[in-house]
Amino acid sequence: MLSGEFHTSYRADMAIYETARARRVLAAFLVVLFVLPFFGSPYWLDVLNRAAIAVIAATGLNILTGFTGQISLGNAAFLAIGAYSTAYLAARGVPFALVIPAAGIVTALAGMVFGVPSLRLKGLYLAMATLAAHFIVEFLVTHWESVTGGVNGTSVPAPSVFGLPLANDRMLAFLILPACIAHLWFAKNLFRTRVGKAFVAIRDQDISAEVMGVEVFRFKLLAFGVSSFYVGVAGSLLAYQARIISPENFPLLVAIDQLGMIIIGGLGSILGSILGAVFWTFLNEGLRLMVSALSGQFPGLVQQFAPLRLGVFGLIVILFLVFEPDGLAAIWRRIRNWFRLYPFSY
Amino acid sequence: MHSIRTALFVLCAAAAAGAQEIKVGGIFDLTGITSDVGKPFAQGVRDGVQWTNENGGINGKKIRLVDVDYGYKIPEAVAAYKRMVGDDKVIMINGWGTGDTEGLKAQVNQDKIPYLSASFSGHLTDPSKTPYNFFVAPSYSDQLRAWLQWVKDDWKDKSRNPKVAFFYGDNAYGKAPIEAGRRYCKDIGVDLVDEEIVPGAFQDATSQLLNMKQKGADYAYINVTTTGVSTILRDAKKLGLATKFGSNPYGFSEALPQVAKEAAEGVTGVMPHVPFGENVPGMKRLMDFHQKNHPQDTHDALYVRGWSYVLVWTEALKRADKAKALTGEGVKAALETFKDFDLGGLTEPVTYTSSDHRPSTKTPIYQIKSGKLTKVREVEMPRKPEWLGL
Amino acid sequence: MEFFLQLLLNGLVVGSIYSLVALGFVIIFKASGILNFAQGEFLLLGAYVFLAISSAHAPIYAALLLTLAFSAILGILLERLVLRPLIGEPIISVIMVTLGLSSVLRAIVQGFWGTDTRPLPSVFSLEPILLGPLPIARGYLYGAACVAVLLVVLTLFFKYSRPGVAMRATADSQQVALSMGISVRRIFALSWSIAAVVSAVGGILLATMRGGVDGSLAILGLKVLPAVIVGGLDSIGGAILGGLIIGILENLSGGYLDPVFGGGVKEVAPFVALVLILMVRPYGLFGKVRIERV
Repeated sequence: MLSGEFHTSYRADMAIYETARARRVLAAFLVVLFVLPFFGSPYWLDVLNRAAIAVIAATGLNILTGFTGQISLGNAAFLAIGAYSTAYLAARGVPFALVIPAAGIVTALAGMVFGVPSLRLKGLYLAMATLAAHFIVEFLVTHWESVTGGVNGTSVPAPSVFGLPLANDRMLAFLILPACIAHLWFAKNLFRTRVGKAFVAIRDQDISAEVMGVEVFRFKLLAFGVSSFYVGVAGSLLAYQARIISPENFPLLVAIDQLGMIIIGGLGSILGSILGAVFWTFLNEGLRLMVSALSGQFPGLVQQFAPLRLGVFGLIVILFLVFEPDGLAAIWRRIRNWFRLYPFSY
Repeated sequence: MHSIRTALFVLCAAAAAGAQEIKVGGIFDLTGITSDVGKPFAQGVRDGVQWTNENGGINGKKIRLVDVDYGYKIPEAVAAYKRMVGDDKVIMINGWGTGDTEGLKAQVNQDKIPYLSASFSGHLTDPSKTPYNFFVAPSYSDQLRAWLQWVKDDWKDKSRNPKVAFFYGDNAYGKAPIEAGRRYCKDIGVDLVDEEIVPGAFQDATSQLLNMKQKGADYAYINVTTTGVSTILRDAKKLGLATKFGSNPYGFSEALPQVAKEAAEGVTGVMPHVPFGENVPGMKRLMDFHQKNHPQDTHDALYVRGWSYVLVWTEALKRADKAKALTGEGVKAALETFKDFDLGGLTEPVTYTSSDHRPSTKTPIYQIKSGKLTKVREVEMPRKPEWLGL
Repeated sequence: MEFFLQLLLNGLVVGSIYSLVALGFVIIFKASGILNFAQGEFLLLGAYVFLAISSAHAPIYAALLLTLAFSAILGILLERLVLRPLIGEPIISVIMVTLGLSSVLRAIVQGFWGTDTRPLPSVFSLEPILLGPLPIARGYLYGAACVAVLLVVLTLFFKYSRPGVAMRATADSQQVALSMGISVRRIFALSWSIAAVVSAVGGILLATMRGGVDGSLAILGLKVLPAVIVGGLDSIGGAILGGLIIGILENLSGGYLDPVFGGGVKEVAPFVALVLILMVRPYGLFGKVRIERV
């Protein structure tokens, strides 16, 4: 049982992982994570990569919606911007180490543009504006054929490291997993800084924040920017992983799914983004496997996968919102505290 | 001891069953925007596979169809492909839509997986570009050319050329034959006056039809699926338009007069596969199977299409198996030995060569008369080399 | 000129259906402050239930009444089960719940009826009626007439009937309404019920006009958002006007701009209008303005 923390410096007090044990557990987890790509089958590596990409995107969305309180339905549009920037640059031979940050920056700029209406709009109205942004971006992507290839989509060359192309999921995992961890680390640190705390202040009570000297509009734009950078990077990695992207990769359902992920995971919590994204990606695959396993006996079941997935998603979101609005992160915290305080947990 | 024996027995049986199984992937659209035609096609494929397994399989080996519904979403198709090739280890795939097939063509080439798509896109016919892609019908482009030929012959006014409009969906499938159609119009003296684009799923085509009316089209070719064709026809009727409509093979089947009702009267369409129940020798197999297994269901030309695909690739599997080359490359080589392979009238005989993957170039044209599909003529297109891959 | 008038006419007719669905939105928003993203699914469900009942060879009027009754009950049920527990939760939760609800409803429809287009027994012949030189489908005309009647009925309901006035009172201030003896809970249930019924009517009309029912009807739920924002989220007159405006805008931009951009303008134009209105006049043409000063 953990019987209290005794810190002797500010640094120790503000550490993300406060005890040595926590740090050791994290290190062990990371080791396991990096060993996985050597053993997984192509299918599960594909799922792992997609989950990691979803984690980055969900974290970006959480920064905007969970931490800063700005509702955004435009995540799919930002993913698209990131992915198509990547396709455009990669096709012109730009090395991936430059492409990914570039795509992130392009998306961040786009995000800030769409963040401008947030000066005057709140809540519902902002959600509407971002929804409109989604459709407008979709239109642009479909019709700007010289850049995006229109409805036929465009293919993305594999990223290459010193001439070695990362052509399959196994190798891509060594790109995607570190990127994911780096982004999570940055996000966790962000909320220990002044900027991050300003975001949270805006969410909690923006009028008071303004009164206290937080320049609300500037930080709102920054939130849009940072969040969109994350989503842009996620889109970029998605482009490299999927190799072929078309407007169909980015329907509104993706944005709704990601909102669902952060709600299920827990708004305003980095752990929540991870849990939500991983949970939802694996649930999807689990449903698919179950359907294909049972389709031997019930041939009609294959047809039901799509509505089943939709229905399960909606149901889980509703159940979480009704019974556990703080999401999986809160459940995790409760479980962890129970073990921590055992035998005094009640 | 007893349990060990049982375990060994089960293992052997499993291994034997595994060895006796040929895995074929099936990527179908059962819930997406083309599911109205995707579902009967998928059922045709499944029934064809079941019939094959019940009638000797592939020289004794059974086929296991690993099928999946991708909802006409390219990313789902790509993920399904990765699973099937990487994990399930299928040796060939019966695919569906234009967008995903064209998207995957580089990948199937790299992985050497023969891909029989329900998409008849002309872009898949040139083996120098897409050696592992096949389909069982004249290409969309050849079919459009055939229909345009019918228009030219149907047009009686000698004072001017007939005016034609194209309606197509905003996706790879919709756009596939359009360039070929544009060029052919110039070749034979038909005026292409208008092109109207409709979104993937739409309820109302009135503004597009009004645009077309302004341009004065006498004929219009619709390149969507049955649901979309029905909407366009009904809206056209509501506007009192005199334009004669024609449809591609995925917009034209027995289902069309049922949904569009009186608006479908007089509409023509290309039908590379015969309607269900047509009096051809190959239909007997299907009718018997239908009677035995689901006499309550109704079927249409799409169902026949699915069956014809199975007949083609099971024959290829048999030939590859006889040549002891049951791999992707072996199946491709087997397909390329097909010369006038007869499907009993379900569709035109199929020929593939290593330099030309167009199975046939003869397109039957049907018309809806009194709610029934009636054949009006067949149009044969020449196998022009410059049309390969267009 | 004829082209323009034809587009205008078509826009008015389609817009009248948007008005109907927009009205449902606004009713729920006015009464309970919730933006119901599942409105399109109410429409969808109404159309499918109508299809199911009329396919069982029931006479049209019976099918209609039964569908409306079903929708009314559905509205009450959903309000009780799903929305009641979320009173007081932050707005994002409420939005997500209605999104989740829309997924569940759409999944149920897809699961039961599949994604085919199911043909509806023909109610109207396809021969157009001529208004001057402009042909207009019989079904559209009857549909528009239906909507007009319904809108008049609803406006009168809100103005003169007891429950209607009670709903307006609750929309203004729940606390005062409660202290006046109005059962706010019942008002919530009533508002969801009316919204579901109104959407179902829209769905049935749309389905009969098109001759068939399929999943794409639900898209209307999203398309109506620009209508609602343009008109003003808490104004009934605004919803009606907003619907008509968006219908006309769609058709005009489709007719004139589609050839320029190669299609797709029809779908995106209402959302561009949405963004413009949000920039210029966020509370819509007739909505109440909330002023915050720091």
